[in-house]
Amino acid sequence: MKTAIEMRKAIANGEITAEELVKASLEKIHAEDAKIGAFLETYDEEALERARAIDARLRAGEECGRLAGIPVAIKDNMCQKGHKTSAGSHILIDYVATYDSTLVHRLEAAGAIIVGRTNMDEFAMGSSTETSYFQKTRNPVDTTKVPGGSSGGSAAAVSAGFVPLAFGSDTGGSIRQPASLCGVVGLKPTYGRVSRYGLIALGSSLDQIGPFALTVEDVALALEVIEGKDEFDATSREVAEKHPPELLNRNFLGVKIGVPKQAFVIGMDEGVKARVEEAIEKMKNAGATMVHLDLPLLEYALPVYYILQPAEASSNLGRFDGMRYGTRADVPALWDSYRKTRGNGFGREVKRRIMLGSYILSAGYYDAYYKKALAVRTAIDASLTEAFKSVDVIVLPTSPNVAWTLGEKFDDPIAMYLADIYTVAANICGIPGISVPCGESEGLPVGLQFWAPSMEDGRLLDVAASYEALQI
Amino acid sequence: MTEIDFDVSKVAKLALLDLTDDEAAALQRDLPSIVSYVSKLHEVDTSEIDAKAYLTDLSDVFRADVRRHDETDDGRDCVAAFPKQKGNALEVPGIFE
Repeated sequence: MKTAIEMRKAIANGEITAEELVKASLEKIHAEDAKIGAFLETYDEEALERARAIDARLRAGEECGRLAGIPVAIKDNMCQKGHKTSAGSHILIDYVATYDSTLVHRLEAAGAIIVGRTNMDEFAMGSSTETSYFQKTRNPVDTTKVPGGSSGGSAAAVSAGFVPLAFGSDTGGSIRQPASLCGVVGLKPTYGRVSRYGLIALGSSLDQIGPFALTVEDVALALEVIEGKDEFDATSREVAEKHPPELLNRNFLGVKIGVPKQAFVIGMDEGVKARVEEAIEKMKNAGATMVHLDLPLLEYALPVYYILQPAEASSNLGRFDGMRYGTRADVPALWDSYRKTRGNGFGREVKRRIMLGSYILSAGYYDAYYKKALAVRTAIDASLTEAFKSVDVIVLPTSPNVAWTLGEKFDDPIAMYLADIYTVAANICGIPGISVPCGESEGLPVGLQFWAPSMEDGRLLDVAASYEALQI
Repeated sequence: MTEIDFDVSKVAKLALLDLTDDEAAALQRDLPSIVSYVSKLHEVDTSEIDAKAYLTDLSDVFRADVRRHDETDDGRDCVAAFPKQKGNALEVPGIFE
């Protein structure tokens, strides 16, 4: 029994209790996570207590929600009241959240049991989870390799079989890329589909919370629970039509899939290219219509991203000045205290991006970089909107490379940034994207990515589930 | 490739960051190459584009001014999270010397 849907059935049939499930999850974490490093902390007692409470309610015949008794994990940037929420950073090393994020609130309302918080790149800045102040996370498929990032802990937790569902945040690919590298499914929903209230912000026009799971069905189940309007996130949206796992339509007949010429960049692994081409062939044989697309502006998505995201991050991280929360450098003068607190509290990559963002937003450069990036973003969005007039979804690789060895790209920021080349456009344009496993190269997982138009997450899940069904 | 005018100490001042000499040297080396990479954008003609700050069509989103689902009464948790507090107040370094 590995998936949330299997666990749901087993609980409903009385084959297993929530307590047994949560206990098994925690035991596996304690036995095996020392070599993976997915979790920063587990909440054993609290999780078991909550599981027992769910069991009691189920015995009494109560309806306990769609995720009743299912063990789940959340990324270290999602506030859970009374628990540490550090965003992988020294500056928040002892910060205890004073309120629940809407994600946590909805998960718990649906009966899910949060067993712990997972490791991440500091403030979600990174593509390998190596910038975490606390620890390195290793890829469960091969522990000499990175799990991807920034939600590497959550991806690894699902890949290692610790929990069937884990949650991450995706600002430029931070769910899809680690899902790809760890061989699991990862969904970045439409911008605004899931509330970010209580998520420690990186780039507010880009950030989106989403699930990791072993199957598309489980991802659909998780999305159904966490999506929808939340009055505490002004950017959140009503979901008129939910698309639960029971409604997944696995059928390629009549489906038009766009294949952008730009899906195959110079420098990508040959093995990744081969697997993606095979996947395209398979879908074609299953009845899908393949449409060649030329989207030259996609090439500019990464430069747009590395202007908008540092600009927004430098602004968002202004609040970490040691006054209201986190650590504070104990020096008498206020301005020295700000500078020292931030200098001591942030790691190398965070400082790099704050500096980059501050530069881009400074007088004399704002128009040349920030405003220019907004204009190109608008143009990329228009070109994708146009493309979606002739296709239902777009297919491309998730990552140009399979998982690399720890340390390999750590000192080369641009090489690290290129890991996001296929994922950032979905964030820039706010459209949903999903990564599903599509075989291996050099013994390591390859991910296939789909995009759909804004709020067409249901269509995206249908196509991903259809592809998944071809694999079995 | 355009020459990038980047002065690490000036930007560090804007960013409110104390940097060690090593960090400053590394940033002075790395950031111009990143800026140069993103400058690729200038290849795109955007003269006809009406740049939008946000792509979402939402505007003027309000909510009722009522207590949240998890809101506690008196902010004790927030006070406890302060790095330094005096009684129920946030203690900060003096602004005036």
